[in-house]
Amino acid sequence: MITFNKNTKQQLISLCKTRNLCLEGNIIKVIDYSGDTEFEQYIQTCLEKDKDVRRKRLEITKQIQQKNTELEKLNLENERILEDLQVTLKEVGDAKISYEVQNRELIAWKEDNERISLELQQEMLKSEQARVEAENAKRTAENDLDVLQKRTQTKLIERIVKVSLGVIVTVGLITTLMYGIALFTEKDTQIIGSTWANMFGILLTNAFSIIGTIMGVKYASKETE
Amino acid sequence: MIESILLVDDENLFHLVFEDACSLLEISLSLQTVSSSDEAAKMFKKWYETNSKDKPECVFVDLNIIGSSFDGIELIRKINFEYGNHVVIGIISSSNEPEEQSKAIQAGAQFWIIKSDDIEPRLEEFKKDYQGYKNRTLPFKIYR
Repeated sequence: MITFNKNTKQQLISLCKTRNLCLEGNIIKVIDYSGDTEFEQYIQTCLEKDKDVRRKRLEITKQIQQKNTELEKLNLENERILEDLQVTLKEVGDAKISYEVQNRELIAWKEDNERISLELQQEMLKSEQARVEAENAKRTAENDLDVLQKRTQTKLIERIVKVSLGVIVTVGLITTLMYGIALFTEKDTQIIGSTWANMFGILLTNAFSIIGTIMGVKYASKETE
Repeated sequence: MIESILLVDDENLFHLVFEDACSLLEISLSLQTVSSSDEAAKMFKKWYETNSKDKPECVFVDLNIIGSSFDGIELIRKINFEYGNHVVIGIISSSNEPEEQSKAIQAGAQFWIIKSDDIEPRLEEFKKDYQGYKNRTLPFKIYR
């Protein structure tokens, strides 16, 4: 314990009373005040003041601590948000790159499609042209075939006509010759004469019939064309 | 009343809180504070080598001491096993991890006070139990 002499005690008491300056801190607790009521009162006053000061300081310090804790939490939260933001920004950047790549691929794909479409159109045009050409060729072939058939038919008709006319003329000539011989040799001409007349009539009729038929066929063929 | 206390904590603001709380609760008249475990270890080494009587009677150590090369548990281990023991020592931290608490017990901690805005009731309870820690009769206790 610390012991003060009477003079020091009086000076301390006076300082407290006149200028409100008192001893502070734990040192007060080790001062010996026994046997001096006035000094004991002074020490008690100092202790009370010290406790008040400490209590106030403790409250303020606690408040500061609380504020610091809140600030630290806020700071942590801010850092977390900032990190989230950076992650989001990175994701957005990555997504942007990905979209750009996809966009480029889509543009390339579109260009390919357009090129293929153009090629298809060209091929379709070629195909259409080929179809038209094929149809023309078909028509030409059909016409050629028709002409060939007609020509064959005409030739056949010509041959038939020639053969028929040949037969008619030959039969006519033979019959006429036989009739002539019978006339010059003065043989019986009754049968041969009527036969010649009949034959000649039939031949003429047949000849005109043939010519009529041919003309009819030709006319019919023209109408069909 | 505890003769002398050493507080090892990196938070200077808590030094003021602890000092005022100890004074108001009349826990101790003499309080010394340091901000790093390295500094505290040096002090204990010196006291141990010189066999000094200046060393504190009770030591409160923070668990995570920023700016130090080792944590509070390691400091307790050093004090207990390298620098002669003979002090009441424990953790004062906002952490309440059972894993850390079992490590502290292994290092020789006698108590664990959880830091909060209202530290006085815990210190008051600790003051009541102190004699048990000093006599090594009280088991490890957590002040919640």
